[in-house]
Amino acid sequence: MEAEDPPLFADRPEWADVIPLEQYEGVSPLAPIFYTSEYKDATNYFRGIVKTGEKSPRVLDLTEHIIRQNPAHYSAWQYRYKTLVALNAPLDVELRLMDELAIKFLKTYQVWHHRRLLVQQTKDPGPELEFIARALQIDTKNYHTWSYRQWILAHFNDDALWSRELEFVESMLEYDLRNNSAWHHRFFMVFQSGVRKGDEDRDGVVRRELTFVKTKLATAPNNASAWNYLRGVLDHSKWPYSNLESFVAPYSVPQTALQDVLSEDVVDLENPLPSPVAQLPCVAAVEFMADIYESKGGDDIMKATELWKSLAHQHDTMRRKYWEYRIKEALQNVR
Amino acid sequence: MGQPRRSPDDQYVTETSQIQAETESVLRQHLPDDPESPPPLQRTQHLQFLARNLIQGFPSRYISQDASQPWLLYWTLQSFSVMGVALDPDNKQKAINTILACQHPEGGFGGGPGTRSPSFTDLCVGVRARYRRRPGPAGGWDQIDREKLYKFFMSVKQPDGSFLVSRDAEVDVRGTYCLLVVAYLLDLLTPDLLAGTPAFVASCQTYEGGFSSASQPYFSAEADGTTRLLDDVRPSLGEAHGGYTSCALASWIMLQPYLHLQDPAEPRPSVDYKTALQGSEIELGGSSDGCYSWWVAGCFALLASQGVGGGHGHDADDTATTRADEEWSVWNELALQRYILCAAQHPAAGLRDKPPKGADAYHTLYCLAGLSAAQHNVYPSPARRAQVDQAWRPSPDSPNEELRRASFTEALSWSEEEGTSRVLGSSVNRVNATHPVFNLTITHTEGIMSHFYKQAIPRRK
Repeated sequence: MEAEDPPLFADRPEWADVIPLEQYEGVSPLAPIFYTSEYKDATNYFRGIVKTGEKSPRVLDLTEHIIRQNPAHYSAWQYRYKTLVALNAPLDVELRLMDELAIKFLKTYQVWHHRRLLVQQTKDPGPELEFIARALQIDTKNYHTWSYRQWILAHFNDDALWSRELEFVESMLEYDLRNNSAWHHRFFMVFQSGVRKGDEDRDGVVRRELTFVKTKLATAPNNASAWNYLRGVLDHSKWPYSNLESFVAPYSVPQTALQDVLSEDVVDLENPLPSPVAQLPCVAAVEFMADIYESKGGDDIMKATELWKSLAHQHDTMRRKYWEYRIKEALQNVR
Repeated sequence: MGQPRRSPDDQYVTETSQIQAETESVLRQHLPDDPESPPPLQRTQHLQFLARNLIQGFPSRYISQDASQPWLLYWTLQSFSVMGVALDPDNKQKAINTILACQHPEGGFGGGPGTRSPSFTDLCVGVRARYRRRPGPAGGWDQIDREKLYKFFMSVKQPDGSFLVSRDAEVDVRGTYCLLVVAYLLDLLTPDLLAGTPAFVASCQTYEGGFSSASQPYFSAEADGTTRLLDDVRPSLGEAHGGYTSCALASWIMLQPYLHLQDPAEPRPSVDYKTALQGSEIELGGSSDGCYSWWVAGCFALLASQGVGGGHGHDADDTATTRADEEWSVWNELALQRYILCAAQHPAAGLRDKPPKGADAYHTLYCLAGLSAAQHNVYPSPARRAQVDQAWRPSPDSPNEELRRASFTEALSWSEEEGTSRVLGSSVNRVNATHPVFNLTITHTEGIMSHFYKQAIPRRK
């Protein structure tokens, strides 16, 4: 049986002492929104208690009521937070309420920012990571969710929190190796958060990351996120792209031409081949080879321009103008 | 042109590739028979869609935008400007009154009357740019309390150079962008306001070349009891994202006059333009949401202004060094126009993210702004810069004169390149050019800046 709609605040005797205030006084606004009577009523009463500065438990009811109708009402959120602090309310209880609202209103800034304010007070980030993992099951790429996770890790900077993170991000990438948010999180974790115990061998870390991304590329090469990650690792570590030439070359030719680029018959564990059903040549691989040739300079510039031409006219015609720009720039630099 | 190819999935399906495939299937249904003849821009319909919201009001599902009322006005009124339509005097005055009602007693403007101020000031100002008749009581501009506005801005400035979007609220580059636009247009830029902000913006660039929403600052405790911001540990929070990239790059450009006045011996933050260009190219190719028409495509003009990815150069006397039929852009602006006209126009009026979604005011503006960016080459012209600078009347008493003058001339040097517009389909599809930094028309930018900087703007030669 459905619950009845709660009465308007105007009809609640316990709110009779508050004077509700209209939004626009003496102004007939342009572009008015057709508020429901429920929303209008609640926000009129909100304006009323903001004016008197009341910070009481009933204000928590009122702000929750508004937030459920408009989760982006940032003033209601701000005032709710101040009220919680003034009342010295139990913030872990508030967080449990927020669990429900966060899932309901995943794409709203305020619901995540409110959590941040609460966690800064409770100083208990562990359960947050679990909550975030649950939220990411529902919406695997939610920007607020991922950046909140990064903030938790960076702000508390606790080894115990970091220790399970590699496992977590790998499980996300196992589920979907094209999840750019997960790749970014991996980069954040590995390269942007200082050096943790066990990761002091930075060269070893770089090699580990290269192995990881190569494996993912072998499975499904046409994955812009993985290529961006590969470049990111090399740029960050200042390793030349040419180090990866043996790996990338097979990805830059059609399947039928694979044999031509392989130097040996031996399986090279360092350089996994693209899967036999991968759609080759992979545009990002061709681009990568062109960048290698460009970086070598001299006669290799012509090899780069050949590859850019093949992209412009055959493999990636949508970006023809960009490839022609690359050709022009490279030739200008030669002079 | 041929049928565009489907994104390859290497026969390895994941959630991402599935959604991509579904999207592409829907989009293919919207391909025109003749790629050179897309459906026309349905101006009248879109104007009616916008006007209905403006005059009659927004339906109750827009309650979610109740804390963004000035945005609703901005999206609507800027769309009118892009389509070359002006509002009647009565509704102009109503717009001014509505916005003024959002001005907060402590400075700044809120998302609605009586709410705390976030940086919606941007929108208010942008919107009111259209409504200047004369300074004074009903003119609007002079009723903005600039002193309190500046105080509000300084009150949300953070030690790492970023700005909160409102008291106790989040930091992100959107807020930084909005704040900088307003400070820039209203002649509120000072070294105090901008200190540390370039480094913050630069710290938001990720390994992909685009920009994230914010970065995490770390401080070290110094012997004298103070704390020092660490330069090299500023991890980005959130991945590279079209909207944040647009805000960050535009902010970066607005910060250039300030940066150039700094001591050259001091280390200067920098942005990697090359990866930014590459990132933008990938982003434009991969995403399909109509609003990225502005957020991503709009970035190319910004990058070109910094010398990266521009189609051609201009000499000091502004003779274009390429012929009009040569490329001025390094991205596929015709394909974008095709997308907007074929897929982003909603059959029942307004513009949208992608089919089969509904239209809304936000997507209507950003699709039209993207159409504008795809049609016109707007670039900073050395000749126009010189012209504006020559007409500058110095005020010896004003502090920050150099910064003001440089900011003024930079912003107003942006010009539409004559004779190089590229409109897909008939001329009815042509929309007005847009200032790539402020997302206002150039005329409006000139109007508002001349008022607040108290400078005359020379006619264009």
